[in-house]
Amino acid sequence: MSQVKELYIEPMTRIEGHLAIHAVGDVKAKKYVDAHSYAVMFRGFEIILEGREPADAIWITQRICGVCPTPHGLASAQCIDMTYNVSPPPFAVALRNFTHASEQLYDSVLGCGILEGPDYSEPVVKKLNPDWWSKAEKTKAENRNLHGYSTIAEIMSALTPLSGSLWLKCLQLSKMGRKMASLFGGKHPHVGSFIPGGIAKTVTASDLEMFSAMLAQHIAFSKELVSAFDDLLNFVLEMGYEEAGKRKANLISYGCYDDPYSYTGKYGDLSRWGDSRKVSPGIVLDGKLVTTDLTEINVGVREYVNHSYYEEWDLKEIELDPLNNNIATEHPWNKVTKPLPKEPHKWDDKYSWGTSPRWHDWKNRVDGKTHVVEAGPISRMWTTAQAGKVKESTGNSIKFTLPKATVAGFRVPDEVTFEWKIPKSVNAVERIRARAYYHAYTAYVSYNMLLDALEMVKKGEAKVWSEYKRPKEGIGVGLTEAMRGALGHWCIMKNGRIRKYQVITPSTWNESPRDPLGRPGPYEDAIIGTPITEQGNGELNGIDVVRVVRSFDPCLACSVHIYAGGEKKASKELSPYFNI
Amino acid sequence: MAEEKINVIWLQGQGCTGCTVSLTGATHPSLADLLTGYIPQAANVNLAFHPTIMVPHGKEAIDVLRSASKGELDPFVLVLEGAIPDEKLAKKTGGFWCMVGEDEGKPITLNEWIDKLSERTAAFVAVGTCACYGGIPHGEPNPTHATGAFTYLGKNWKSKLGLPVICVPGCPAHGEHIAEVLAHLVLTARGFLPTPELDEYNRPKFIFERTVHENCPRAGSFAEGKYSEKFGEPYCMGLLGCKGPITHCDVPRRGFVEGVGGCPTIGSICIGCTEPEFPDPPFSPFFKKTPPGVFVGETVGDLKGKLYALLHRLKPRVI
Repeated sequence: MSQVKELYIEPMTRIEGHLAIHAVGDVKAKKYVDAHSYAVMFRGFEIILEGREPADAIWITQRICGVCPTPHGLASAQCIDMTYNVSPPPFAVALRNFTHASEQLYDSVLGCGILEGPDYSEPVVKKLNPDWWSKAEKTKAENRNLHGYSTIAEIMSALTPLSGSLWLKCLQLSKMGRKMASLFGGKHPHVGSFIPGGIAKTVTASDLEMFSAMLAQHIAFSKELVSAFDDLLNFVLEMGYEEAGKRKANLISYGCYDDPYSYTGKYGDLSRWGDSRKVSPGIVLDGKLVTTDLTEINVGVREYVNHSYYEEWDLKEIELDPLNNNIATEHPWNKVTKPLPKEPHKWDDKYSWGTSPRWHDWKNRVDGKTHVVEAGPISRMWTTAQAGKVKESTGNSIKFTLPKATVAGFRVPDEVTFEWKIPKSVNAVERIRARAYYHAYTAYVSYNMLLDALEMVKKGEAKVWSEYKRPKEGIGVGLTEAMRGALGHWCIMKNGRIRKYQVITPSTWNESPRDPLGRPGPYEDAIIGTPITEQGNGELNGIDVVRVVRSFDPCLACSVHIYAGGEKKASKELSPYFNI
Repeated sequence: MAEEKINVIWLQGQGCTGCTVSLTGATHPSLADLLTGYIPQAANVNLAFHPTIMVPHGKEAIDVLRSASKGELDPFVLVLEGAIPDEKLAKKTGGFWCMVGEDEGKPITLNEWIDKLSERTAAFVAVGTCACYGGIPHGEPNPTHATGAFTYLGKNWKSKLGLPVICVPGCPAHGEHIAEVLAHLVLTARGFLPTPELDEYNRPKFIFERTVHENCPRAGSFAEGKYSEKFGEPYCMGLLGCKGPITHCDVPRRGFVEGVGGCPTIGSICIGCTEPEFPDPPFSPFFKKTPPGVFVGETVGDLKGKLYALLHRLKPRVI
């Protein structure tokens, strides 16, 4: 019997989009020794956008991803604010924040409960990790007074698709988040209200009241969600999951939730408004925060296509940014998208529709080199905890108190204080934990933003749009956080039309194939070294790989702005799909 | 009495999963209602394949499609989300645009699954504008030569039940539109409801017959000649680019999630996302006003309405 088994997982399910994974497991040493992540669908957004009116990008780019459209709308709106040289009024920034935060609330419960949760649910654990189950039945849940489940096994049962109480609540609350986004966005997915210079929303007296009532449900639910996931994940860690999906803490965050009075949409102010975000921008290399300067972060972005189904480019459209920083050929402002479809599995050649973004330490803070950085809730919690830019940041944690909220159907009306602490390592478990805590932090930030918005209304500052005259030429960048992490949009306008539009999504960072230096992307890196815990009959099912990849909450349509997947080898029979 | 089980196979092509997300927000009926329905006539519906929510992954998942193509999951309804690219174009350089599973290391394209499964399916439902007509991926210059099922299979294509491709457009499709149409088809397949009546683009008329403008709470402002000139104002959005008069959709009235939202309803503009030409002209640029011809027609209709209203006033009371 050979020691090494090859596994092709395609389609990767319970993620957004078309992703495939090739993993090589050493069944004797009980760990994965190699991996390739490949995106298998292409649509060509950047090509479709060329020649269109720049404002149209705000609607079109949201269609890159139906799971996380609003951050695309926001990044694009900020990118076009800059391109058109228009600053939205503060109340419009607040309403954009609400819409964005609503989506984060929906998306974090979707990720934790519906997409990743089932991997730790009763049917999956019983089938693939039966030894966990017997222990889970005996392990008391520490936070049972908050979430109401007495043992870990009960939490696992509660995550069972279509019947588990936590799964069903997550479905309900994800809908509530989308309803909140529809309040200010008209619809969700793909909100219709983000426009250059503000938001197309007729604000009525009932809007903020409705928003606050719906937010109360998320605040109440967060107290249960975070406590339940804390208990579940601590248990999973004890089952030997410390090493699963572990990578060095190399992280990127653009930050988000703008201060309405700081955001101007002007490139010269980018660092200043980045600094005042409630979630801090930052680059973390080997666990240390090396910069929080959004301008520096932008200038350091690189994108490579040596292992991707695209042709290289050498054209340099922009030499300098508006502040005279040198802009590299590999920077998205200079990138050209030229698709070149090729066959799959050529690991030495092109093998993915995804590209390889890297961050260049161009100010030589550490070593002046490019780095493989990971995006996601763990990245932005980490940068926010270390940056000390918000009062909740302690230098090694984020500490905040969720307000009182009495809502029928939820257990805890009282205030609850949570503290997310920087973990020992970045691994599958900690990525999911950060996602749950990000739900709570977003609910907390939204509550405070709501109080601020009421003050604005009191002062009569309820203007939602700044009129503008569209210039002929312009350049813009929009940087924000989608649920899955750092999201950037870049635009160059000539003659009032899009000359170039580029998008790098968080999943592009995370699912990237090898770069020119042969370094694996974050998914690949995280799989390599992951222990094999599944107890199979000699066949590899790949559940450990799948859990690791799902911990990133992949959003594939995003990263290729198109893909699809393939499979080859796994275990026996079909069955446990939803059979009601 | 239990009705025969109906399987649903949900394929994803060049899409964004937005229609799936939208479906999770459907309320009356909801996704759970659809799958766990307590009315026997509408129950026993099994979601056999759906990449975003199914539990298995990899081969185990693809084996479901293999069984379906062999007839082991008959009867099934095939649902497509996302557009269909032209794989011949990708093949020129030895590659593919959209793969759904692999066979001995070779990609199986979305198109191959559609070709195989459409032969057996009881009904074909194209969910979202991409799956119906090509949507965003088919926007000029259409780099992957994407189309929707309406074009790919053709207007005259018929399923085993004798139904054409049923189109539920929208970007994304409204969750309840999807749920209602699927529920309707289950009842049609079991003989409880007639085939839904379709318009010229195969959209069910019970949802798509009327335009956004006809369904718009701001239509009264239009009739009074009150237009928003700046965003934020509460009047007709026509001057700011709303394509309501040429778009078929009931979202302004229905709202988007549990009655909340609606594009012109809240002060945004309709961008025509349920129409075959979307996202190209006459719907884009999105801030550009609807072509004048439409307004001429609207105005004539409006004057006619006023005249009838006047005549009606002159009639004596009957009860």
